[in-house]
Amino acid sequence: MTDAYIAVGMLLILLLAIFLGFPVAFTLMALGVGFGYYAYYDVGRMWRSYDRAVEAGADTFTQVETWLGGFFNNRIFDLFVNQTYSVIQNDVLTAVPLFLFMGYIVERANIVDRLFSTLYIATSRVPGSMAVAALVTCTLFATATGIVGAVVTLMGLLALPAMLKAKYDIRYATGVICAGGTLGILIPPSILLIVYAATSGISVVRMYAGALLPGFLLAGLYLVYVVTRASLQPRLAPRPTKEDIGDHTVPQVALMMLTSFVPLAVLILAVLGAILFGFATPSEAAAIGALGGLVLAAAYRALTWQRLKESIYLTARTSAMVCWLFVGSATFASVFAYLGGQQLISDFVTGLDMSPLMFLIMAQIIIFILGWPLEWTEIIVIFIPIFIPLLPHFDIDPLFFGILVAVNLQTAFLSPPMAMSAYYLKGVSPSHVRLTDIFLGMLPYMAIVILCMVIMYLFPDSIVFWLPNAIYGG
Amino acid sequence: APAVLAQSPVTIKMQTSWPASDIWMDFARQYIERVEKMSGGRVKFELLPAGAVVGAFQVLDAVNDGVIDAAHTVPVYWYGKHKAASLFGTGPVFGGSATTMLAWFHQGGGKDLYRELTQDIMGLNLYGFYGFPMPAQPFGWFKNPVATVADVNGLKYRTVGLAADLMQNLGLSVAQLPGGEIVPAMERGVIDAFEFNNPSSDIRFGSQDVAKNYILSSYHQASESFEFLFNKDIFDDLPEDLQAILEYGVEAASTANTALAMDNYSSDLAKLQSDHGVTVHRTSKEILDAQLKAWDQIIPTLEADPFMKRVLDSQREWVERVVFYELMNSADLALAYEHYFPGKLKL
Amino acid sequence: MLRYIAFADDLSAWFGKVFAWGVLIMTLGVSYEVVVRYFFRAPTPWAFDLSYMLYGTLFMMAGAYTLSRDGHVRGDFIYRLWQPRTQARLELVLYLVFFFPGVTALIFSGWKYAERSWRYMEVSSNSPAGVPIFQFKAVIVAAGILLFLQGIAQVFRCIICIRTGEWVKAAEDVEELDKVLLEAKSLDVLKEGAAELPPGLAQPHEENNGETR
Ligand code: NA
Ligand code: NA
Repeated sequence: MTDAYIAVGMLLILLLAIFLGFPVAFTLMALGVGFGYYAYYDVGRMWRSYDRAVEAGADTFTQVETWLGGFFNNRIFDLFVNQTYSVIQNDVLTAVPLFLFMGYIVERANIVDRLFSTLYIATSRVPGSMAVAALVTCTLFATATGIVGAVVTLMGLLALPAMLKAKYDIRYATGVICAGGTLGILIPPSILLIVYAATSGISVVRMYAGALLPGFLLAGLYLVYVVTRASLQPRLAPRPTKEDIGDHTVPQVALMMLTSFVPLAVLILAVLGAILFGFATPSEAAAIGALGGLVLAAAYRALTWQRLKESIYLTARTSAMVCWLFVGSATFASVFAYLGGQQLISDFVTGLDMSPLMFLIMAQIIIFILGWPLEWTEIIVIFIPIFIPLLPHFDIDPLFFGILVAVNLQTAFLSPPMAMSAYYLKGVSPSHVRLTDIFLGMLPYMAIVILCMVIMYLFPDSIVFWLPNAIYGG
Repeated sequence: APAVLAQSPVTIKMQTSWPASDIWMDFARQYIERVEKMSGGRVKFELLPAGAVVGAFQVLDAVNDGVIDAAHTVPVYWYGKHKAASLFGTGPVFGGSATTMLAWFHQGGGKDLYRELTQDIMGLNLYGFYGFPMPAQPFGWFKNPVATVADVNGLKYRTVGLAADLMQNLGLSVAQLPGGEIVPAMERGVIDAFEFNNPSSDIRFGSQDVAKNYILSSYHQASESFEFLFNKDIFDDLPEDLQAILEYGVEAASTANTALAMDNYSSDLAKLQSDHGVTVHRTSKEILDAQLKAWDQIIPTLEADPFMKRVLDSQREWVERVVFYELMNSADLALAYEHYFPGKLKL
Repeated sequence: MLRYIAFADDLSAWFGKVFAWGVLIMTLGVSYEVVVRYFFRAPTPWAFDLSYMLYGTLFMMAGAYTLSRDGHVRGDFIYRLWQPRTQARLELVLYLVFFFPGVTALIFSGWKYAERSWRYMEVSSNSPAGVPIFQFKAVIVAAGILLFLQGIAQVFRCIICIRTGEWVKAAEDVEELDKVLLEAKSLDVLKEGAAELPPGLAQPHEENNGETR
C-alpha cells in the first residue's frame, strides 16, 4: 500500500469519525498528528541523539533517556505547533470574532419587531405583503447578524404568528422565513465568505464584491416568487384589511422607516462600503461594524450590561468553534498533502476526463449532498481544500467556485432531513405547524437556489465578476 | 539503531520565503541545480515555496526544529527574535554595497559574528550561509513623484524590518500589511506608497497596476544577501564532501544569481517603462541625505546592545578601509555609459 | 467526579470569559486605528499586531470553555439518535484515542516552541513598535493545558453517563438566542432582557463570571 492510499484511508477514517459525532476539530487534530507521525517517521532522526550518546559513552540513564526521547523526536510535533501558530496569527480570520460580535449585539438590539411591522405597513399594497415584509426583514437582519438560527427563530416568533393570524398558507408562510433567514450566510459581510477566503487564499474583499450581486439576485428571485405566487393564488396570502394595518400617513411610514429600516441598512452599507471602497480592511470594517452595532443597540435602549456580556461570551464560544476547526484542519491538510492524498485525488479526477461543466456539476452535487448531514463550517474547512487544487485543471476561477458554493450551501439549511432552518422554526411554531409543512414550504426555495446557480453559470461575467472587476480591475 | 545514510541519495527539503511565482524561486533553483550536479546526484532537493510547510517568516523556527531541512530566506524575516539579524543585510549603510558587505561576511569577521549570534547568543540548532549580493532595493512605488522630504512626510508607506524604523524617522507613516494585501491596499488608498524588492518581483506582484512612479536608489535595504539555513543535525550527519558542496554551492550560486538578476531585473525595468507607462526616477539627494540622518538616529539605539555595537564597529571598520579603495579605484562608469548611450541616464 | 467536573467547567469558563473581553478591546483598538489613519493620517504601529493577538488569544483560550458547553461542532445526525449510554461509551473511547494524544502534543511541542520565543523575548517584526509576541506563543501551551483539564472532566462525564444513563449538564450559561427563544417560546425574552427569563432559564449568576473575580 502506498502512502497515497494511506492518505485516502485517513480521509475515510475522518468521514467515519465525523459520523460518530465526536467534535470535528479534535478528530482532525488527532488524525493529523497520528498519521503525521507515520508520514514523518524517520529512523535516522529518531535515534540520532541515542547514537550520539552511545558514541560519547554516556551512562545508562542518559542512554535510556535519549532512547525514549527518540520516540517523540518526530517532525510532526513541530509541524503541528507551527501550523497552529499560523492559524492563531491569521490576519483574515481576525474578522471572525468581530463580525460575530457585531451580529450578537445587533440580534439583541430590539430591532427585528420594529423592522417587520414597519415593512409590513410600508408594503401593504403589494401581494403577499406580510411575506414580502418577512423576506426583507430576514434578508436585512440576517445580513447584519449572519446568524441563521437567531433570525429564523426570531421571525418564527414574530412574523409567523402574524401571518397565520392573517390566514396565510402555512407552507407559504414558513418557507419564506426559512429561506430569508438563511440568506445571511451568503450576502456579505458573511462569516462563511471569510472562512472560504481563509481556506482558499482568495482576498476577502474580492469574495465580498463577488458575492454581493449573487446574494441580491437570490433575494430578488425569492421576492419575485413570493409576489408572483401571492398574485396567482391570492388565497395563500389574503390582503390585509384597514383594521389589520391601521391608518398611516405617508410621513408617518417614512418616519417609521427612518427609525427602523434605515439605521440597520446604513450600518450594513457602511461596513460593506468601507471594505469595498477601500477605507478599511475587512477586519477593520468588522470592528467599525461592531462599534456601530453597539451604538445602534444603545440608541434603541437595548444595550444593557447583561446583553453586552452575553454577546461577548457567545462571540468567544462561536469563534472558538470556527477557529479550532482551522487548528485541526491545518495539520490534517498538510499531512494529507504530504502523504500524496491530494495528488491521488487530483490524478483520479483528472483521469476521469470530465469537461469543466461536468466537474463543476459534480463538485456542486457533492457539496449539496454533504450539506444534508454536515454544517457549512465543516464543509468549507474540510472539503473545500480538496476541491481547490483541482480548479486550475478545469480552468475554473476559485472565486466563482466559492460563490457558487456559498449559494449552494443555502440548501444545507433548507434540505431535509437536517434542515437546520426548519428545526429552528419548528421549535418556536404553534403545534399545528407540522415539520412536513415546513419542509414542503422550503422546497420551492431549493429550486430557486438551483435556478440562481444556473443563472450564475450562464452569466458569470455580469453577475459574479462584474463588481470585483469594476472595483479592483481584472 | 544504525544510521542509514551511506548509499542512497540524501533528500533535503528546502522551503523558501517566496511565493511560488516569484523570481527568487528561480534563484533557489540555480543553487539546487549546482549542488545536485556537483554531488553527482548524492544530494537531492525538494524545493517548496513559502507556505508549503510553514509561513515565510517562520522558516528559521522550522529549520531549527527540523520541520524542514533547509531554508532559502533573508535574515530580516527573523529580526523579531533578535534585532542583530537585520545587521546581516538590511542594516545602516556606511558606504558599502551588498557586495562589500558580503565580502565583510566572508573576509571581514561577519561570519564569526553571525556564528556567535546564532549559536552562542540564540542557541539555534542550524547553520547559515550567505550568497547573492542583491542590488539595492528601490525606494518604491508612489502615486505621485516625490522629490523632497516634505513630499514624503505623512505618506502612508508599507515596508518591513529595520527599514520601518528608518522610514518612520524620515516622517512617513509606516503601515503594517502582509504581502498579499499590498496591492489591494494601494488600490483602495489604505496606503499611499510601498516598497517591495526589485523590478522582477515587483512586476510579477502587479505593482505597476496601482502606481506609476517607481523610485530607484535608497539606503533602506542596500546591502542584503540571501541566507541559506540548514538544520545542524542534518548537516552534521552528512559526509564532509557533501557538507562542503552545500556550503560552497552557495558561493557558486551567488554568481549565477547575479547574472540572472542583471538580466531579469533590467529587462523588467525596461518593460515597466515601455509596456506599463511607469516613470522611473532616482531618489533625490535631499531624501537620501534625510535617510542617512534617520540612520544616525537609529544607530545609537542599536548600539545600546553590546553585541550589535561590536557588529556595527566591525562593519564600519571594514567599510572605511575597503570602500575607500573601491570608490577611489572604480572607473567612472556613468561617464562611459553617457558617452556611448547619451541622454538616457537621469542621475 | 462531579466536583471535578464542576471545577473544570468553572475554570474553563473563567479563562474563556476573561479573554472573551478581548473582542471589545479589538473593536475599540481597531476602530481607533481606522479613525487616526483617515482623519489624522497617523496609523498606529500596534493595531495590526493587537488585532491578531487578541483574536488568537480569544479563540484559543475559549477552546476549553466551548468544550465544556458542548459548543464544538459535531456531525451529530446519527449520534443524536443514540441512547446516552451508547453515546458515552463511544465518546469515552474517542476521548482517549483522539482527544488526549492531540492535546498532549499541543502542550509539549507548544512548550518547546514558546520557550524558545521567551528566551529571545521575541517581538513582532511587523512594525517599528517592537510589540512583544513571546507571550502570544505561550497561548498555545495555556490553551492546551486548559483543554487537557477540561478533557478529564469530559471523560468523567462519559463515565457517569455510562453508569447512570444520563449526561451531566454543563452549568447554566448564556445560550444562543435560538435556544433561549426555543425554550421560552417568547419574544419577551428580548424585550425584557434575559435576566427576566422564567425560572429555570435564568442566566448564570454573576458571581460565576470571570470579570467579577
Ligand atoms: Na451576512
Ligand atoms: Na441540510
